[in-house]
Order: sequence, then structure tokens, then C-alpha cells
Amino acid sequence: MDRNQITKWLKEPAKMANKYSLHAIYFCTGCGIIEVPPVITARWDAERFGVIPVATPRQANLFLITGYVSVKTLRPIIRTYEQMYEPKYTVGFGSCPINGGMYWDSYNTIKHLDKYIPIDGWIAGCMPRPEAIFIAVTHLWTLIDKGMANGHVRYRENYEFYRRNQEMALGKLDWPPLYQIDSKSEEAKRE
Amino acid sequence: MNELLKKEIESVFKDVLIADYGDNRATITIKNEQILPVLRFLNDKGFDHLALLSAVDWIEQKEFELVYILTRYMQGDEEHTDKEKLHLIVKTRISRQRPQLETATAIFPNAEPYEREIHELFGITFEGHKRLTPLLLERDYEIPPFRKDFDTREYVKDAFDKIPFIRNEKE
Repeated sequence: MDRNQITKWLKEPAKMANKYSLHAIYFCTGCGIIEVPPVITARWDAERFGVIPVATPRQANLFLITGYVSVKTLRPIIRTYEQMYEPKYTVGFGSCPINGGMYWDSYNTIKHLDKYIPIDGWIAGCMPRPEAIFIAVTHLWTLIDKGMANGHVRYRENYEFYRRNQEMALGKLDWPPLYQIDSKSEEAKRE
Repeated sequence: MNELLKKEIESVFKDVLIADYGDNRATITIKNEQILPVLRFLNDKGFDHLALLSAVDWIEQKEFELVYILTRYMQGDEEHTDKEKLHLIVKTRISRQRPQLETATAIFPNAEPYEREIHELFGITFEGHKRLTPLLLERDYEIPPFRKDFDTREYVKDAFDKIPFIRNEKE
């Protein structure tokens, strides 16, 4: 442990513990998942950075979206994200979730993932190297320190807009809203 | 391609065009009403594996082309002494106005998912297919998306670019 950080540990122990034990949900979309097995195994060993993959969203607080998101995959992504514990962090991996990448004019690919769920950081590239994941993790530490990795807060605050976008892309959603949508405040915001 | 097989096909079926591409590839082009008899004939000859069924949209000729690639599992054993690894590519064309064809699932059961996929992406109906339900796509498309007249950019502008970005109200 870094001695310089002792004051931080004493001040906000929960936050520091969260920061150094990121549990990544093992969720595969697109081709970027091919980079994840070497990252979590002996060659690059993500556990040096406190990142460990877990099986279910209920145990996870880091969501790596690895590669293009087809319309059909968006549905489980939203469901997975909503099941995760707060504080939860999302990182878009590869250029496809950012703006569609090479699938920018595809009939069946979601172009901007941050229209549907909040994203805390992006890793650009096609494909990014495994080292880029660690750079992203260290950046994420800084963001958590400064309180800027606040995707879940933004999700709660703007939930009606996220839900509206999700319904625009997927049609009617077959699960209830995660947060209560106050219809009056929604109208007031639109006006 | 084996000369014997070639002559046999030509003697049994009319209007058949056989072209060789090297030692182990040959295309058989036929009229669409003959597709099932040809497939059944080749299946009896030992071509028991449908490796691929796909479609091509020839929009200028106003036709769809269906491509069946047949091969066999038992190649070069004692029973089939010709010892050639032959891939037969059976091609047929159907009109674009009335995209219909008989199903090949009675001969090759594994044609089922291929035909469902083609039905969904090209809008070709296979008569007699028992389960032409949606397979891959999530959204509804007016024109099936793999047809050449489907404008992907217009579709993306309409469907995805219209969805607004989220602005944080506090900022």
C-alpha cells in the first residue's frame, strides 16, 4: 500500500476499497472479448490491478463492453447494467461502442452506446491492446478519486431519458423501470 | 469433375449448364423448377451434405440466385473410388417479383436454418418450410436488409441517428 494514500484510506475507506477491487462482469459482445482471456490470465494478470472477472452481474461493479453492440445485444446489456450494484462503472472497449466504428452504417448495430447506458470511460482502438485495459483501469482510479466516474448517478438522474432512448431503439421493453419515473418532472424538463 | 457424372446429369435433366473450375469444383446451373429433382438426384449419387445455402441479389437482372453447395462426407473411400473431393455448386435463379421456391428440407434437413435466414434477410419464401419464423433480426424492416435496394445509410439516419444524446440537466 502506498503510504501517501493513508489519509485517503482513513477518510473514505469504502471508496478506496471499491477502487482497488474492481469486479468485472464477464460479458462478451463482439470481437473485443478475445482480448480479455489474456488480460485476466497469467500473461498480463489483471489481478495486479485488482480486476477480477466474476460470473454474475450481482457480484460485479465494472462493466467492460467489448466490441460492437448489435440491437439484440443491447437488451441484455441494459438488463445486466441494471442488475449491478452501485457504485458501478462502465467502460466501452474498442471503437464500435463509441460511434459504430466500421459498422457506422450497419442496419443492425447500435452506434452510440452512451445514448442508452451511461459510460464512464472509453478505450479507443480496433482492437485495443491488453495494456490499454490497464491504462483505462488506472484512469478509472483517478476518476473515482475525483468523483467523476459517476455513471450510476447520471443514470438515476436522467433515467427517463435513458429509458426513452432504450424504447426508441428496442420498442416496448418487457421489464419495469429501474427507478420511478416522475411524469410531471419529465414534462417540465421537456418544456 | 468426373465425366461419367457429368454425362449422367446431362442425360437426365434438360437445360442444364455444367462448368468445371479445376479438379474439385463444378457449377451446375439449372432452371428453378428442376432444383428439387437435381438435389434429390445428387443426394442419391452420394452428395449427402449440404454445406451451404445462400442467396445473391442480382438487382439489374431482377433475379435472385440461390446457391447450394453440396459435398460428401465419405470421400475417397472404397465405395467412392473416384477419389476426388468434389464440391458441387448448384445454382438457380428465381424472379425478384415473386420470390418463391420449394424448400429443400425434405432432402437435406440442415437446410432449415439456412432457409430461415434467407427468408429473413432476403425475403424469399420457401414453400413447404414448416418454421419460417424470425431468426436473427430484432427490428422490423420494410425491405429485407440484405437486398440491394435496402439503403443502409437512410435506415441508420432514420432509426439510430434520430435518437438524441443524453444531456445532463445540471450542467
